[in-house]
Formats: sequence, C-alpha cells, structure tokens
Amino acid sequence: MSILIGLMLLITVVASFLVLGLDRDYSKRIALFASGVVLAITILILITSLAQGSVSLSEQYNYVSAFGISLQLQMSAINFILVLMTTIVAFGTVLAGNPEHEHEKVANTLILLFEFAAIGLFTSANLFVFFIFWDVGVVALFFMINSLGSPNRRYASMKFIIYEIFASSLLLLGIMMIYFYTPVHSFNIQTIISSAASIPEATQAMIFFFLFVAFMVNMPMFPLHFWLPDAHTEASTQGSMLLSGVLTKFGAFGMLLLFSILPISREFAAPAAALAGFSTLYAAFVTMRQKDIKRVIAYTTIIDMGIILVAIASMNEFGTYGALFGMFAHGVTIALMFLVVGCVHHIFGTRDMRSVKGVVNQATSTAYSFLAGTFGITGVPLTTGFVADVLIFIGSIQAFGIIGALPLLGLLIIGAFLYFVINKSFLMTKDPLQRVDYIGVEQKIGYAFFMFFMFLFGVFPFLLLGLTNLQL
Amino acid sequence: MSLVASIISLLIAVSLLWNTQSVQSFVWFSVGNFGIPISTTTGALNMTLLLIVAGITPLIFTYSIGYLKAPSEQGRYYFEMCIFAAAMMLFAISANFITLFIAWEMLGLTSYLLIGFWQHKPKAQVAARKAITTIIIGDTAMLIAILLIWVTYQTFEFTSLLYVAITPQLYVAMLLIAVAAFTKSAQFPFTEWLADAMEGPTPVSAFLHSSTMVKAGVFLILVLAPIYAELNLLYIFIIFGVVSALIGATNALSEHHIKRILAYSTMEDLALMFIAIGFNALYAAMLLFVVQAFYKALLFMSAGSIMHAGDDEEDLFESFNSTKSKGLFFTMLIGTLSLAGVFPFSGFFGKVAVDSVAANFSSIQTIAVYIILSIIDLISSIYIFRWLFVPMRKASLDKAFTLNVNYRTLPKSMLIPAIILAVFVVLGAIIYVPLTSLLVLSGPPVSISLFDTILETVIVLAGIGVAYVLYVQRKLDGFTEKHGLLHGIFSSENSINSFYLYFVSFVDLVAKGIWQFDHYIDQILYYSGKGLVEIGNAARKLQNGQVNLYVAAFMLGLLALVILYAM
Repeated sequence: MSILIGLMLLITVVASFLVLGLDRDYSKRIALFASGVVLAITILILITSLAQGSVSLSEQYNYVSAFGISLQLQMSAINFILVLMTTIVAFGTVLAGNPEHEHEKVANTLILLFEFAAIGLFTSANLFVFFIFWDVGVVALFFMINSLGSPNRRYASMKFIIYEIFASSLLLLGIMMIYFYTPVHSFNIQTIISSAASIPEATQAMIFFFLFVAFMVNMPMFPLHFWLPDAHTEASTQGSMLLSGVLTKFGAFGMLLLFSILPISREFAAPAAALAGFSTLYAAFVTMRQKDIKRVIAYTTIIDMGIILVAIASMNEFGTYGALFGMFAHGVTIALMFLVVGCVHHIFGTRDMRSVKGVVNQATSTAYSFLAGTFGITGVPLTTGFVADVLIFIGSIQAFGIIGALPLLGLLIIGAFLYFVINKSFLMTKDPLQRVDYIGVEQKIGYAFFMFFMFLFGVFPFLLLGLTNLQL
Repeated sequence: MSLVASIISLLIAVSLLWNTQSVQSFVWFSVGNFGIPISTTTGALNMTLLLIVAGITPLIFTYSIGYLKAPSEQGRYYFEMCIFAAAMMLFAISANFITLFIAWEMLGLTSYLLIGFWQHKPKAQVAARKAITTIIIGDTAMLIAILLIWVTYQTFEFTSLLYVAITPQLYVAMLLIAVAAFTKSAQFPFTEWLADAMEGPTPVSAFLHSSTMVKAGVFLILVLAPIYAELNLLYIFIIFGVVSALIGATNALSEHHIKRILAYSTMEDLALMFIAIGFNALYAAMLLFVVQAFYKALLFMSAGSIMHAGDDEEDLFESFNSTKSKGLFFTMLIGTLSLAGVFPFSGFFGKVAVDSVAANFSSIQTIAVYIILSIIDLISSIYIFRWLFVPMRKASLDKAFTLNVNYRTLPKSMLIPAIILAVFVVLGAIIYVPLTSLLVLSGPPVSISLFDTILETVIVLAGIGVAYVLYVQRKLDGFTEKHGLLHGIFSSENSINSFYLYFVSFVDLVAKGIWQFDHYIDQILYYSGKGLVEIGNAARKLQNGQVNLYVAAFMLGLLALVILYAM
C-alpha cells in the first residue's frame, strides 16, 4: 500500500484550485512547482522500480465504505508508462507552451485539472473511476479550446464536445452493460477480466462495438476523426499539446483495456487492425493536401494512433509493448511538434507553409527542433519512435503476416511530406519571412526538455522496457 | 577538432587490424524472452571498409579547411560531417540488421542535411528533398525486410541467416533489401538523386561518392551475397546493374556540370560492382570497391578545386586554363587515367577484374553483358577525358576573364589531400594485395588475363583518341545536341525525372481525391448537424400556446386515425 498515486492526484487538484484562487502572478510558479513535483515522483517510481524490475502499486481510498464506493488505483508497467508520459507532457506544457503569456491563470488551472484527470484515468483500477476521470479530462480540454483558442474556437470546441459526448455516452452504456452482465456485478477491472468469459457472446459483441466506437472517436480513427483537425487548429498551443499528447491516449488506453477485458475481441482483432491500417493511409494522403503546418501535425496524430491501434489489435507481447512505447513516443514527440508550431506562429504570426520561409535564419532552435520532432515521428533510430516502430511492426507482422507492415507506407508518405515542409519552410533561407516577435528562454528549455526524453528513451529503451509487469 | 577526432579514429581502425577477427554483441533491449541485440564485427570485409572510411575522412576534413572559409557555417558543417563519418564507420562494422539499420538511417539523414547544406540555394533544397524521398523509400523497404526476417527466423544476425531454411518470406525480404540497396547506391530506377546531390558542398560529394553513403548499398549486398546466391536471385543485380551503368555512362557523356559528370560516373562504377556481385565474383567487386573509393575522392577534390579556383563556375565548358596550377592538373590527370583504366593505375585493375568475370562466353547473355561492358568502358574513357581536356583550353579573348587568377592561389589544404590520394591511387593495386590475403570470400579470386588487359587498353586508347579529336581538336562540336535521337539516348535524365514527376503527381492526385472526400464528409456532417438544429427551431414554433391551433392539430390527427381504421 503506497500513497504515491493518491499524492500525485492530490497535488495536481489542489494546485489547480490554488492557481484559480490566487493572484495571476503566482499561477505559473505554482503550476510549474506542482507539475514538477509530480514529474519527480514519477521519475522516483521509475528509478525504484527499475531496480526491482517491475512496478506494481495499488491504492484504495474509501469514500462511502458502507456502499463500497471507493477510489481504486493501480500502477503496473502499462499504467506507469502512460503516467510518465502525462507528467512529462504536462510539465513541458506548463513550462513552455505559452509564449504569448495570455490567460495564464485559466490555462494553468485547466492544465493541472487535466493532468489530474489523466493521471487518474491511466491508473484507474475501476471502470467507474475510469469513466469519471475521462469526463473530467474531456471537459477540461473543452474549456481549454473554448476559452483560450484562436477566433474560430467556439465552432471547434462545440464540434469537439459533441463528438466526445457521443463517445462518453457509448462508453457509459458499455461500462453499464459490463457491470450488469458480469455475474459478480463489479466495476473492478481485475474482477471483470476474470469473469468476462461468462458474458454471452452476442452481448460481448455489442459491448465491444459500443466501447470500440467510443474509443475510436477519442483516438481518433477514420471515419470519426473530423473533430481533431479543427480542434487542434483552433486550440491554443498548450491545448494542442495536451489534446494530442495525452487526450488521444485515453482512447488508446481504453482500447488496450477493451482488448484485454473481452475474450471476444480476439475475433474482431483483424477487422480492427484493417480499419486502423486504412485510417493510417487515409490520413497520410489527407495530410498531403494541408497548407497549415499545425493541421499537418494534427493529421500525423491520426497516422500514429492508427499504427498504435494496429499494435494493440495484434494482441501479442510485442504488440502490447509496442503500443505502450508508441504511445509514450508519440506523446512526447507530438508535444514537441505542437510546441514548435506554436512558437512558429508566435514568431511569424502565421502558420501557412506557403508564407513561412527561412525559419532557420530567424529562429534557429525552432527549425532544428522541428527537424528533431520529424525524426521522432518518422521513427528514425535513436529516437523513441524507432523503438516503437520496431516493436509495433514485429507484433503486427507476427499477427497478420506481411500485410501487417502496410501502415509503414503511411509513415513513408508522411515522412516525405514532412521533409518537404522542412525544406520549403524551415531550412531554406531565401526570401525569409520577417519575424514579428521572439521566443523566450523558456521555450528553448521546453524544446530541450522534450528532446531529452525523446532521445533518452530512444537510446536507452530498456529504461522503460525493463518494467515487465504488463498486467492490467 | 574534427580533424583530430578523425585521425584518432583512423588510428583506432588501424589498430583493430592486429586484433583477431571477432563478433561482439550485447542486448540493446529485450521484450519478454526476446532480446534485440547490437552486434559489431571486425571481419575482413568490414575491416576493409572501415579502413577506407577512416583513411579518407581526415583527408576530406583537411580539404574542407580550405574549402569552407565562412566561420558561421563551420560548426554545423563539421557536426554533420562527423556524424556522417561516424555513421559510416558504424555501418562498416555492423554485424546484424538492427545495427546496420541504425547506421543506414543516420547516413541517409545526415546526407540529406549535407546535400541541403547551402540553405540559401533553393536548388540545394530541392536536391535534398529528392534525396530524402528516395532514401526513405529504401529505409521503409529495409525496415519491412528486417522485421520480416526477424519474425520468420527470430534473428537479426547476418551469419545465422546463412543457415536458415528457405521460405517465401526470405525471398520477399531479400528483394526488399535489394530495393533498399538500389536507393542508397543510386541504381535504376532510383538514379536521379545522386546527380542532384551535387548541389551540396564539394567535400561532401567527395565523401559521399567515395567511401560513404553510396557504397553502403553495394557493401550490404556484398555481405549478403551468399544468401542471394542461395536464393538464385543474383541475376537481378546484373540486369539492374547493366541498365544503371548505361544510364550513368551516357548521361556523363552529355552532361556539362563539372561535378554531375563525376556523379554519373559514380553511378556507372557502382553498377559495375553490382554486375560483379551478380556474377558472384566478390573479389572483383571488392577490388573495384576499394580502388574506386580513392580515385573518386581524388576526382571530386580536383573538381572542387577547379570550381573553387574558377569562382564557383560549374559549367565544364566555361572553365578554362586548368593547367595553370601544376599540382591541381597533376591530380586531375592521375584521377582521370585511373578512372579510364589505363594500365598501371589502380582503376585499371578494378575495371579489368570486373570485365574478366563477365568473360566466360558460355551463354548469349554473358556475351551480351561483356559487349555492353566494353562499350561502357569506351564511353567512360571518352567522358572522363572530355572532363580533363575541356577545362585545359585557353580562355577566349572576347570575354573579360579575371577568374583564372585564382589558380595559383589554391590553398595548400585543398591540394595536399588530393596529392596524398593521388599516391594512393597509383599504389592502390599494391595496397590491395595484402588486403586480399586477409579476405575470405566465396567465389573465384580475381584473375586478369592477358586478353582482357590488351582489350581494355585498346578500348581506353580508342576512347582517349575520340575524346582528343572531339574536345581538343574541336571537331564535331555540339554533335549530339544536333541530332535529336542521339541526344535522347545520351540524356535519359529528363525522361527519368519526368517519370518521377508523373509518379508524384499521381500520388498527389490520389491525395487530392481523398482530401476532398474527407472535406465533403465533414461538410455533410456539419450541415446535417445544422439541419437538426433547424428542425428543432421549426418544432419550437409549433408550441406557440394558441389553443385553437392545438385543437385543429388534434382534430386532424383524430381524422387521420379514423381514416386509418376505416381502411
């Protein structure tokens, strides 16, 4: 029995309200301190558990013990990797994501609230808790887009919330069906896994369908991805970093849960993987027509999450590790990319790749960070993306044969296109666009921070893969 | 700094020679019971490549000191060059696919950065883009192949792959690896990036063409040749090699850009190596591999020096008076003689070795290949002497030339490495003898018959004669340009490029279609959402509190029900 996870949740939520209550001048310091402490706790857990070779924590906080309502939390390798990613992304977001220093108070409140939700969700041992944290996270991000984005934000945030409410309702329906059809009537994930085989097959299929669609919206997958580009384009930089870095992992984590809970999911694995693979190629082609650099990055999220779903659906050891590593890699890398794009917007006042020219001339660190982020996304060796790709595609080739390697073509297309963008807008210094503003040292530290983790776990992947306890 | 580092790495490489050949391996990371290892080897082939790379690197860096003067660019330049060299050294000693792939991608990416090094030149950026697009096609093919091999055999090691059962997966994987090697070594149909890569700084070209990058593809196939032999797939290297060699040789003949001529000739040399591998003559391929590294580095350094001295003039026909700097002209001459294959120079042994393996006139195909190889030898001696002769001309008086005053002030740091290389080129064949004693390869050893020697010499002399007539005596000036068909044959560059363009625009078209589909679905969803709101608004108007309207609706409904029941 430890209290570390509870402590992390407590720190984030208390800090969130402190930021809201106290003066604006303190907001960033408090948020930095809180997310820094949470990151430190996570790294502490990593160091101690690497010595043991596995991580296994479980906590229970009774709320109304007479009715058995309690907050059940657990942490195995799966949960841990996602929590680590969340804390890294959240700290980096607080640190660097707001070069304009606009609405710091609201932004930091919502970031901390979202971090609270994400940590809670990724460590929940109980589907009911899972659902509650899910909605808290979605609502926090809704306000983040709705109040902090660019001019067209209300349209985008409404679109986002409509899709997410649709997903939430299906999620609730699925969870309730699981609760009523398991013989013991429990929300606990362990209990459900051990007794889910007794649910009738037709019901299982129905539950699978509901939950799959719910998570598909969140991941997002074709044909339910339409909220994502708009939400990213209109959200503030911090909003995009959290949205793509962490929120999309809610869906992927849910998929991981779904595929391990329901025995019938084995039968749907191949179609799910086919859909994911199609989604990857589809998004790759759509990306090629985008003109807004932020939209390009937004679409790469669909590609990477598609690949992660392929890994989850291959349902073997490599696939699961690959999906986890892929989520980690994607979270850190995409946060870096959105940070860079946000800074480009801040420096030049535009994100249109037709007019942005000569970034390397005007803002060298920004241009090279974009290059490093591209390496991460396309899976260049010694970044986390490469380890993820190797694991994922070993898993998927094992499960589906050589067809399982087809999503790599999506990565090929997006790679070619991103290098095109780099050459056209970032590295070519002919007729550079004049900058209208500067970025501070915080943003540069932010680049270095994300790149540090991107390369650290890419060069030493055993730091994460040494955790071998994959039980949910 | 980087010069010191490169010399240290050369010393380490040389010191490795005295170690016993061994394979070292450690587990990088593991998943479940499976470990993903990193392994390195100091086998004979690997040591040869490592020595070449480690030997040429300090020379290139010395050359760069004279070439690149601007201090603001130096940090970036030496950083990228060091990584480039390090990646190639890692490639040279890799003993399994995962190590190889790491080096492979690092090579590709650093070469991309180096080709696009001149950030103010849009052409350089276009060239870099073309290179990276080709390269990542190869990378993807390679990644699929090695993962397929792992899933099938649970191994990444080259050596253990020799003893596995043959499965269809192995065929697929090996073909994909061949594609990857073709992209790296610029063989048909991935030829064009190499010529465009000349937009990069000259030392980069010298490095890229002699010992790194393009050699990676050939070397990979050399290492894996026994597996290809086992699968009976070697003939694909002959086919693609012959096609690429023809493309390279003919384009080199019609090209005007000083460095692009050499680029096309590299393409041809690499193709000759592939042809030798295709005949399973690994010694011959390796011999050409070694000597080509030296003479090509030398030629590129000389080309860079001509351009440097001539105020960065890139057109061969606009460069004059190359004989003014004796050192430069001497290095150019040696490089040219070696590339053409004149007898005592090292290039001769490389080329004749490759010709000899094709010279078993057992079937019609090998005879055809032999004839084509002879024609290619002829063309290559013509174009390289064209390259030598044309800048020798005196500048015509009607142009106010001031550009050749620089010839006497060529920096020492640009001349000395070239002279060292020239020594290597002359002695190349002699150096190779101790190396061959170290090598343990399958296939017949190099044998150079008198017949081949004589034939090669005759061909080369004929080529020199033709070049002399054409470019020194200036007969038939602009002959090929005047004849459409010949021009078509001798610059296939445009047709290959337009093939790429068609392919890209096809992909673009697909993307456009899918994007519009995406957009329309989004619009449909948007308007259907809006429609629902409109329906809601309309329905709201019905509840307007007027009782007579409610009564009317009630009566109508009742009427409808009655009618329904009555029917």
